[in-house]
Amino acid sequence: MRISRAITCASAVLLMTAGAIEAQDPIPRTPDGRPDLQGNWSNATMTPIVRPNGVGLVLTAEQVTALEEGRQDFIAQDYEISDPDREAPPEGGEFTGNAIFDAATGGTGGYNQFFVDAGDVVAVFNGEPRSSLIVEPENGRPPPYSEEGRARLRARAERDGQFGAYDNPENRPLAERCIMSFGSNAGPPMLPNYFYNNNYTIVQTTDHIAIMTEMVHDVRIIRVGERRPLPDHIRPWMGDSWGHWEGDTLVIETTNIHPEQVLMGMSNASFRPSEAIKVTERLTRVDDDTINYEFTVVDPLVFDGPIRGEVPFERLDGLLYEYACHEGNYAMENVLRGARAEEARERERR
Amino acid sequence: MKKRSTIAVGTALALLVAAGPLVAHHAFGAEFDRDAPIQLRGQIVKLEWVNPHTWIHVEIEKDDGTSEVWMVEGGTPNVLLRRGLRRDCLTPGTEIIVDGYQAKDHSLTRANGKDITFTDGTKIFLGSSGTGAPYEREMMAARRAQGRC
Repeated sequence: MRISRAITCASAVLLMTAGAIEAQDPIPRTPDGRPDLQGNWSNATMTPIVRPNGVGLVLTAEQVTALEEGRQDFIAQDYEISDPDREAPPEGGEFTGNAIFDAATGGTGGYNQFFVDAGDVVAVFNGEPRSSLIVEPENGRPPPYSEEGRARLRARAERDGQFGAYDNPENRPLAERCIMSFGSNAGPPMLPNYFYNNNYTIVQTTDHIAIMTEMVHDVRIIRVGERRPLPDHIRPWMGDSWGHWEGDTLVIETTNIHPEQVLMGMSNASFRPSEAIKVTERLTRVDDDTINYEFTVVDPLVFDGPIRGEVPFERLDGLLYEYACHEGNYAMENVLRGARAEEARERERR
Repeated sequence: MKKRSTIAVGTALALLVAAGPLVAHHAFGAEFDRDAPIQLRGQIVKLEWVNPHTWIHVEIEKDDGTSEVWMVEGGTPNVLLRRGLRRDCLTPGTEIIVDGYQAKDHSLTRANGKDITFTDGTKIFLGSSGTGAPYEREMMAARRAQGRC
């Protein structure tokens, strides 16, 4: 009896100890003791990359409610039954007043909301509902271009000005050509595109981390360990990434990003990187359902200062699907043929 | 309801406006002619469940009695799959109405699907991402009662 009581007490102590350990370590770990970042994740959100004027970084509860209810109402309106006896849409197109949507559709209306999965909630980082993903500079907007950055922008515009935007497929954006992700999904930094498929699968070993971006099926391979960087002249898509652990945070440093890759797309912070680009990302799993993703972009040949941002990656309750973008890219054909048709109509007008 | 949502959307859009300008993945503005609106009423003959965009093939009857097949562009199938929708939700023979704009090359019978509905005006698909919002639950229940996806 005494013995069994002693065993019971010992068991209780053990259970309490185990409980205490569990309470101290709320995140899953890999067999080598590192935080387990693996799984399917999403950074879809309605919080924009760049902060609008006149708004603080942290939104009030009322602002969050207004934004999220507004989004729900917007979707609900699109689900309303249409008049079966309706007429064709108006000549000249229809504009909604939503700058992103109108710029993308050119007034043609895009398509119904059921095709869109833009992110229906405000980004919450460390418990704070945010008005922008950029947190530094303090105003949530990109720093001014450096003198060299302005010179390069002018040179680029002069070069591009020699060609028509629709002259050939090579002049079209990388996403339209199915080469790179929409917006800045693949990154770095990895940011939402505000339309759909803002999803990632992370696979982790002791010496490599692979991050697959659903759109457009881009895979980043990050080597973990002592940095042995590529020579300066080799600049692959998504750059040359090396990782190391600082405590429980995976730190990824990336240089050598391809000069044609647009970073921080879907915002007016978007830019093409110079040979001096360095992006540092910090991934910290804070609980079962969240990875805190922080990034710092430094490119003195473009900007006059760093850009720092914070984005929550939430666990995706579902699968990623192959985004085989070349499977049926009729859109590229339509865009180029459309340009030729417009040129022919213009010639006739003259 | 309408008034409140207009104000709320206005607030939401004020935030989102700051995200522009953008380069769209496949710029509809470059593909389709906003001066060439169309409305197609006909039967689905084929569904291309492909990336980067789905294409619904619709056969319509022209005024002269002949028929013509149009291709209608929708969004990525990945979103639809994630919502549990299947390609057999749009079986050949289903009658639909499509509002949109024709491709800029008018020799192509292609258009975007600005609004795609059944002939009674209900949308062919529903679902936002399982938000559980009341409108979504009610509409999905009604759809299932009709035997629709």
